[in-house]
Amino acid sequence: MTRKEAAKVRPGQTHVEAVRDTFPGAVLDVARQAEDQVTITIPADMLPDVVEFLYYGRDGWLPNMVGNDERPLNGRYALYYLLSMEGADPSFVTVRAEVDPSTREFPSVTPRVPACVWSEREVRDMFGLAPVGLPDERRLVLPDDWPDDLYPLRKDSMDYRRRPAPATDVENYSFLYEGDVEETTEVPMGPLHITSDEPGHFRLFVEGEEIVDADYRLFYVHRGMEKVAESRLSYDAVTFLADRICGICGCAHSVAYAESVERAQGIEVPLRAQYIRTILLEVERLHSHLLNLGLVCHYCGFDTGFQHFFRVREKAMDLAELLTGARKTYGLNLIGGVRRDILEDQKMATVRLVRELRGDVEALVDMLLSTANFESRTAGIGRLDPKAARDFSPVGPVARGCGFARDVRFNHPFDGYAHLEGFGVRTHDGCDVQSRTLVRIEEFMDSLSMIEQLLDGAPAGPVLTEGWTYAPHKFALGYTEAPRGEDMHWAMAGDNQKCYRWRAKAATYSNWPVLRHMFRGNTVADAAIIVGSIDPCYSCTDRVTVVDVNKRTETVLTKSQLESYCRRRTHSPLKGRGDA
Amino acid sequence: MMLKLFKEIRKTGCGTVGYPYAPLDLPKGYRGKPSHDEAACIACGACAVACPPNAISMELSSEQDQITWAINYGRCVFCGRCEEVCPTFAVKLSEEFELAVMSKDDLEESCAYPVATCARCGKPYASAKEIDYARRVLAQAGGGEAAGGGAPAAASEAPGAPAASAGSPADVAASLSKIGLCLECRRRDDGVAAVRHAPAQGGALC
Repeated sequence: MTRKEAAKVRPGQTHVEAVRDTFPGAVLDVARQAEDQVTITIPADMLPDVVEFLYYGRDGWLPNMVGNDERPLNGRYALYYLLSMEGADPSFVTVRAEVDPSTREFPSVTPRVPACVWSEREVRDMFGLAPVGLPDERRLVLPDDWPDDLYPLRKDSMDYRRRPAPATDVENYSFLYEGDVEETTEVPMGPLHITSDEPGHFRLFVEGEEIVDADYRLFYVHRGMEKVAESRLSYDAVTFLADRICGICGCAHSVAYAESVERAQGIEVPLRAQYIRTILLEVERLHSHLLNLGLVCHYCGFDTGFQHFFRVREKAMDLAELLTGARKTYGLNLIGGVRRDILEDQKMATVRLVRELRGDVEALVDMLLSTANFESRTAGIGRLDPKAARDFSPVGPVARGCGFARDVRFNHPFDGYAHLEGFGVRTHDGCDVQSRTLVRIEEFMDSLSMIEQLLDGAPAGPVLTEGWTYAPHKFALGYTEAPRGEDMHWAMAGDNQKCYRWRAKAATYSNWPVLRHMFRGNTVADAAIIVGSIDPCYSCTDRVTVVDVNKRTETVLTKSQLESYCRRRTHSPLKGRGDA
Repeated sequence: MMLKLFKEIRKTGCGTVGYPYAPLDLPKGYRGKPSHDEAACIACGACAVACPPNAISMELSSEQDQITWAINYGRCVFCGRCEEVCPTFAVKLSEEFELAVMSKDDLEESCAYPVATCARCGKPYASAKEIDYARRVLAQAGGGEAAGGGAPAAASEAPGAPAASAGSPADVAASLSKIGLCLECRRRDDGVAAVRHAPAQGGALC
């Protein structure tokens, strides 16, 4: 192949040409951020057509859409629709459009590609850019008491340390019912419970026992991390903040952030550091999947299994402590590499722990799968229609349990994953809780083998690159496959050693919008196991009990009714403790 | 299935550890509570600059005669950046992890250091210990009298100090002579010197 031909087939190029051919004159600009990342700029009014074409026409999936206030740079706002192309020519194609700062309107893509719904709602909250035609006009991120005309992520909006005075005293969020049954009973769950550190407010619309529809509201504990990163931290300290996004997949976030900056700035990460990052990411998967498998036991009424999975999980935590010096895989990433090498005795100890884990978990999984309740409580429960999955771009075991081979480790191999041999995407096509669980079990076993292969294959050498040149206003994507699905970070450097804009998308962000589809047609008693099966980053849903239902409306279930029902069906040991 | 379960339970035996009644095994390189050696610390502020969550801070007193190093363990994320950047190894992450307190104020620790004043204009300009440290590093680099006092090991292990790489004994001596002056006075001196030498060096100084 000649040089010229090689240049022609750079990843993503075929998609750019296809957009050019289909929509003559639409592509105003093409810019490449990294080998596998290309951004095309189009007029805002072409957004729905071009995004739909790439999404449905060329096997694109939408991890996120990022808004950016670029008025200080070019006088306009910009929107970046990030598309992960997972068919032919795998790559990331970003569709960028500028929005006029005087009208602040753009045509909503959601009616054509439903996966955009949360991102477009968020852009309206944070930047005051109105998606014209967006069916859902409610706030997503901002609380009810936030003033109407204050948009936190605009560059000229506010001092991040000061919270504005509340605009209202009452919760005025309306929950939307999309079912077609006339008379339903509303069951509120949440928003707060004394034991729940991560609140969420659920409304189940039920007819008798059956859930007809569900709506929910999250972001009660939105921490404003993106604003903090822009205003207070220097760009190379953000890896430590990114760690704190999640109590479980922190390393996945900090690797994703670090790699977005490294790709944008063209920083070469030493191969050994890439291997170490990959090992840490898999260690995270070990303990996260064990946690979820334990919870599945618990929901199936097999609480002894729950205790044993948690006992074994402790070994995965020990592994993290051994490799990073902390119980969680926190604080190991810097821009340019990692801070700790894996030494020979640590390698030996890791291999030993991995071997123990394999034996322990095989025995436990065998027990879980032969539990009669497992089959009856998970098979056919929480079915996610593959069509809804295709429309909303869910990630991780939720997508893979629907038969979609979506896994950035294999769709877009990065770091050590590019060097692994003999692994592939694990999928099941039952679309139910059982499939998601089986995907996790298989991935857990794969992770163990991956860690062994990576430890053996890691080349000697430095673990950190230092002394690069920093160029402002360059941006790129960083991505990892966290235990729950892909984490997608988009970062643009500023001219003051800070992030100009950082957008961190956690895996569960992509999975919440499909949850209502999973609820439909199931019974109230299955609600907890369905939420549990997306392994939500907010892990306390099962402990949220009904709050003052009698005071809400005349048609709700009483608290004691719902509780006794839950207890009878799930034998939840957390119940007594949670209500104390 | 039941039989398998019982076998597993039997095989497992006791699943818990002796802690808190017995010490907990911690791996090498465990990142616990940062310990601060106030004698070795020179109050240079490198850790406060590096600290991602602003747990470590440096504050100048209103009289400008004291600079206070302070740490808030409630903010600390135990990343260990402070340990990495400390030139005198005064901050080290210990194996201590029991940090619970009854009052939030007990999570803070601080230590004040005297601030030196400029030999010429009398303005406060840097921590006295930091200047002393710089003096010893320079002496070491110039091959002069060996560093004595609080942190000899640290002084000899600080090759990154600018004067050490500057090279010639003359340079070191020049730096040593200026060490008691504040930045402003030094700048003024440099400016005066530049003007004096400008014709000889072709006026290329800026």
